[in-house]
Amino acid sequence: MTLIADNIRVTYGARTALNGVDLRAEAGELTAIVGPNGSGKSTLLGAITATLPYTGRVTLNGCDIQKQKPWRLAAQRAVLPQASQLAFPFTVIEVVRLGLQAGSGATDDSIPMRALSRVGLSHYAERTFQELSGGEAQRVMLARVLAQIWKPVEDGQPRWLLLDEPVSSLDIAHQLQVMELAREFAEQGGGVIAVMHDLNLTSMYAQKIAVLSRGECLASGSPREVLTDGVLSCAYGCTLRVSAPVPANVPYILPHAASA
Amino acid sequence: MVATTDIPIVSRDRFAKARALHVILAVILLMSAAVSLETGATEVRLSTLVIKALAGTPFSQIETVVMLDIRLPRLMMGILVGAALAVSGAAMQGLFRNPLADPGIVGVGAGAGLGAIIAIVLGGFLPAALQSLAGRHLIPIAAFLGGWGSTLLLYRVSTRQGRTSVATMLLAGIALGALAGALSGVLVYIADDQQLRDLTFWGLGSLAGASWTKVTAAAPLIALSVGLAFMLGRGLNGLALGEATAGHIGLNVERLKSLTILSVAGATGAAVAVSGGIGFIGIVVPHLLRLASGPDHRTLLINAALLGASLLVLADVISRTIIAPAELPIGIVTAVMGAPVFLWILLKRRGMVDL
Repeated sequence: MTLIADNIRVTYGARTALNGVDLRAEAGELTAIVGPNGSGKSTLLGAITATLPYTGRVTLNGCDIQKQKPWRLAAQRAVLPQASQLAFPFTVIEVVRLGLQAGSGATDDSIPMRALSRVGLSHYAERTFQELSGGEAQRVMLARVLAQIWKPVEDGQPRWLLLDEPVSSLDIAHQLQVMELAREFAEQGGGVIAVMHDLNLTSMYAQKIAVLSRGECLASGSPREVLTDGVLSCAYGCTLRVSAPVPANVPYILPHAASA
Repeated sequence: MVATTDIPIVSRDRFAKARALHVILAVILLMSAAVSLETGATEVRLSTLVIKALAGTPFSQIETVVMLDIRLPRLMMGILVGAALAVSGAAMQGLFRNPLADPGIVGVGAGAGLGAIIAIVLGGFLPAALQSLAGRHLIPIAAFLGGWGSTLLLYRVSTRQGRTSVATMLLAGIALGALAGALSGVLVYIADDQQLRDLTFWGLGSLAGASWTKVTAAAPLIALSVGLAFMLGRGLNGLALGEATAGHIGLNVERLKSLTILSVAGATGAAVAVSGGIGFIGIVVPHLLRLASGPDHRTLLINAALLGASLLVLADVISRTIIAPAELPIGIVTAVMGAPVFLWILLKRRGMVDL
């Protein structure tokens, strides 16, 4: 089963943010969307989550998303926004419970608490959301997303996590934790699409990468196919060396995936 | 990976507390009602009447008239208007995702007032059939339409791409209120003597003119609007995450917004039509309740109705007794209670109101 975006075009007034982009993501894989600032990554995610008006066609597990009721879509995919907002002083566990509204209808706290413990924050359950640091808030929102789509596969249908920069405000340990979590979800048969900034992290965890540049898809394929000097230099407009030797006398941090 | 064993059990503390508050607040409302029936300008007392009833002594005519035609409609109106103001405040705050949004402050009350005044001054131009069909409900319905229009306008102006700017909302509210006030002034100026009498009868920011006519005119709209608001609790909780995320968790956001606006306009319109603008109930009540038992709208809206009713009934008792035999306008009492709370919220959120 797949998520297919076909010839997606999004305009903001006179500006064309996406100019006919195709994306194909398979369940069981982590598909990353990368590209420079303003290349249209979040806009593409906005289209495939039906958040932004677009032309073209997006199908999720074979059904056009624009023809589905919000609650039907919510049972099939959860969305982590780039910046989270919360209006009133809800506690952490109350925020995570909001994810339950759409799906399971479970009234006990087992799923929200397990989701919180997946992001390592179960001891914060009774805290007020507004007291949290930016990174903690981002992880609580991820727990809310997990509570909404707890099982990667249900009724034989894969379910999807659509994540907009899920690790942007996290420290390196939590970046790895969140990426492991996404990988695990995909390994169990679910689909994950993530907008990413960190190319090394993307290379470690993604099976498929789509590189966007100026509203168009420059390249897509496996990390080996896509993360090349040529593609990256063209996309980001600066000189990048893939697998260049470590420069002398400069500390160089290479993250390692725990499961690699 | 974090171990998934040894998960602490979280109490649903605040939710249980909020549910318990339903009962406590209902008792407080009953007690407030008793106090309201007990006190007044004449020597008629609820307690005396209860003793008489128990002893089987018949009531005097004065007692019957005072209780049934003066105090009881006034109490009912206090309950209806208080509940309507508090619930519309809480619902509007949920819609705007901001604890400072209140129909009275952001011009919706003024819009509803304009609707009521249009109905009184220009209602004669309506086709006679429509006039008789609407009857005594004409003025509350017109106030509802005025409130509806201003809420829609306000939301359009202050919300962009699912985010509400507090500064824009408050400033647009000032402009909207001023405009509605100016138009109301023009209408009052062109009104004839009978219409001026009607204007005086309908709205002076008080419960002093309470009558069964007004109670029955306002009750259906208030009951519908408040009942509608009670059904929106879950949706408003989701809306706290922002419009986009509310949609992602499966809410029909457009419908939720429309229904909330209808509910706010209906409750505010009906309240304004019978009592004029009584301020601050819609700010104070939800704020106190959020402090007591959290922001969950499923319980907040119900508790707001109960506490709003009690608070307005008690404010009315104060307004009737503090300078007896004269009456202090109830708006003064609620402003003295409410304005400091508004300023307190503003102070606490100063960093967030990016003016």
